[in-house]
Amino acid sequence: MLIYAINRIIQIIPVIFILSVLVFGFVHALPGDVIDTLTATDGEEDPEVRAALEEEFGLNKPIYVQYFIWVGNALQGDFGKSLVTRRPVNIELIERIPATVYLALVGIGLSIIIAVPLGTLAAVRRNTLTDYSAQIVSLAGISIPEFWFAILCILLFALQLGWLPSSGYAPLFSEPGKSIWYLILPALAVGFRQAAFTTRLTRSSMLDEISKDYVDTARSLGLSERKVIYKYTLRNAMIPTITISGLQLASLLGGTVVLETIFSWPGIGLAIYSAIQLRDFPVIQAGVLVLGIMVVIINLLVDLLYRVLNPRVGMG
Amino acid sequence: MSKFKISNSFGQQTRREFLATSSAGMTAAAAAAATASMPGSAFAAKKKGGTLRFSTRSDARGLDPQRNVIYYVSHPLAATSGGLLDIDKNMDIVPAIGEEWTISDDMKTYTFKIRKGVTFHNGADVDAPAIKWNYDRVRDPKTSHSFHRSFFKLVKEITAIDKYTLRIDLELPSAVFLASVTYYPVNLIAPNSVDQVDTHPIGCGPFKFVSWKRFAKTEMVRFENFWQTDAAGNSLPYLDAIEGYPKKEDKVRLTALRTGEVDLIENMSYADAANFKKTQTANYNTWDIPQVGCGYLAVQSKTGPFAMDHPNGKLMRQALSHAIDKEAIHQAIFNGLSESLNGFYGTASSWHMPDIKNIKEYDPEKSKAILRKLNAMNTPVAVVARQAYSYMHQTGEIVYSMLEEAGFKVTNEVFDNPVLRKKYKKSDYGVDSTANSYRFEPDQWYSVNVLSSGPSTKLRTGYKNEAADKLIVAARATKDKQVRMEMYTDVESMVNEDAAIIYTHGIPLTSAATKKLKDYQPAFAGPFNISNGGVRTAYMEG
Repeated sequence: MLIYAINRIIQIIPVIFILSVLVFGFVHALPGDVIDTLTATDGEEDPEVRAALEEEFGLNKPIYVQYFIWVGNALQGDFGKSLVTRRPVNIELIERIPATVYLALVGIGLSIIIAVPLGTLAAVRRNTLTDYSAQIVSLAGISIPEFWFAILCILLFALQLGWLPSSGYAPLFSEPGKSIWYLILPALAVGFRQAAFTTRLTRSSMLDEISKDYVDTARSLGLSERKVIYKYTLRNAMIPTITISGLQLASLLGGTVVLETIFSWPGIGLAIYSAIQLRDFPVIQAGVLVLGIMVVIINLLVDLLYRVLNPRVGMG
Repeated sequence: MSKFKISNSFGQQTRREFLATSSAGMTAAAAAAATASMPGSAFAAKKKGGTLRFSTRSDARGLDPQRNVIYYVSHPLAATSGGLLDIDKNMDIVPAIGEEWTISDDMKTYTFKIRKGVTFHNGADVDAPAIKWNYDRVRDPKTSHSFHRSFFKLVKEITAIDKYTLRIDLELPSAVFLASVTYYPVNLIAPNSVDQVDTHPIGCGPFKFVSWKRFAKTEMVRFENFWQTDAAGNSLPYLDAIEGYPKKEDKVRLTALRTGEVDLIENMSYADAANFKKTQTANYNTWDIPQVGCGYLAVQSKTGPFAMDHPNGKLMRQALSHAIDKEAIHQAIFNGLSESLNGFYGTASSWHMPDIKNIKEYDPEKSKAILRKLNAMNTPVAVVARQAYSYMHQTGEIVYSMLEEAGFKVTNEVFDNPVLRKKYKKSDYGVDSTANSYRFEPDQWYSVNVLSSGPSTKLRTGYKNEAADKLIVAARATKDKQVRMEMYTDVESMVNEDAAIIYTHGIPLTSAATKKLKDYQPAFAGPFNISNGGVRTAYMEG
């Protein structure tokens, strides 16, 4: 297991290198010009100002030189300065990562808590009212647009019932009570949709597993149904569920611009979106790179989890 | 040499306003005296204050107010802004740190007397040398935004004559320069704080900066040494603090107001505003801002079939103009809240011009007839709009249908700002559904967007009309407002005839607040940090 883990970690290094090249390349290929955005609201152009800003931000250097300077600084934890706010990127962006990770983890956790029991129950009680209900709920979760569900939640729980705040954020460690209070609605909006996908996947995986020979064998050996389902079948059926949850988590870490906007959640998605609109290169590059690294790490963890669930994974 | 002096801190008042203010002041003074004579009295006046939680649609890009445009309508940070002069609720320019001024007869020299005892938030004096330092910084392309800098284009020299006298010499005569030294567009920062301007700006506005987390929260506290007082001599502002909560979604802002999470919101959605005013008057106050800016269609007239130098360009642009049904835009986009415009200024503005001529009425048949006559049916037109403002691209969608109906072959695309700017530079568009705002001094609109040498004109429309140019330049050097109005009326009549700019609508805005917010009144065009109004006189009850 240890050697497997070390091998997987070593494989990450070239992936991150390629990622950094792609991020840098794509960002600089975006149409539009940040200097324009910074200097010319009323159309006034000043070549001297342009030259000065390009010099200040190193934009006048050859592109490969800019890349190596950026990578060199990034390796030392310095992502530079936002071209727009002139504040360090670490302030602009990195301090938003905890909010994004917080929402993503709780949202995915919530989806698993809902989806795994519901999917399992639907499979075990196939073609019963329980199964139909689970399928209807999951179909609704997939079909209802995320922003609409979020707004419905706000109208119901914040405006009509007055139970929860409609939007806002508080850091978990400094204001834990308030933080959880603010988290409930966004996490519900994230979790419900993800749970819908995961429920359907868990159900179909469970149905696949239940129909396999080893399940009949286990039953014929006199094992209790509970043990057959929860000890053997569910364990095997969880592999695709973990895969999809890992992907969902990675996607959520990329930021949910719509939900962040609706819930005024100060996550990374909104910051990167805004940076893209303004062509604020240092912020986009740092944000996408950091998120990319997080996705790579999540994939690594998912792979390692496969091994825990099924030690034969990755043997050949 | 003409001299303007307004002896109190609230600008010019009508007789009725003066009587109301002075009687209120005398009543307050009498009450204060009575209270003071009753030690431990139960009637002791309760201090006005509280924390205002203010939710806006947008947030500033950065903290340096000279490198970033801090919009005075929708950025909470505008509460920290202070300038040499102020604007009041009518958007008139009134004294502030500059308590009086003189303008030379040739209109090339402005001399300001600086109010004594005014300080920045860090205690440093706001004096002539400090203001000169600020203005020099704004004039330096390396340390300022072009928007701010554009207001100082005519400046030749700035001189601090003594600690409390500042002289500004201009290259050309200007009757409109006072608008360049109001807190918007040019607000002041403490010279000795420049190193921290991107992280903790030190200004001289009514509120002090505390913290800023972009798109999340802005914290500001009352500046205890702000120069302005109320009629009874009490220091303004009353509020102890303002917390800004940018919430981009209109629905979310409104819900936050209704759930009590914030006290004041700006920019209610047009769809919600009418119903809210009908059903929620018992719990909330609303303020209709009739015109933050003006929506218009900018026709790319530099190249192609609509070009100024194309033999049929003018007729083709008029065909575009006749195809636009402003009433449909009025109803569909603005829910009937605004007004159709034939010039830049709506009826709420003192610059509204009712006598504009050459208005091209909605008449798609006329458009078709022109196109047929010129054998130009199915002329391609690329309608573009900016992504950031929904009313712009929604208007673009409607304009697309209108032009299609009139016989043009239309495409409609929405772009973010950097891409759109690239298209402007390459003249790679036909009609831009856009808007312009914050131009309380008309020269700021006409010199930038209508004058043929104006930076925006050159970049976008390429509009050229020598007669209009002469009038705009002459109006800039004309003191008499009525005469200027007549000049601008003529300019607008030419603009309507040439149809390179097709005015459509005033951009309205509705603000709303809990009834606990007292004595709050924004300016008619939306600013909330105004002389003797807005957040300066507001306070929270209870």
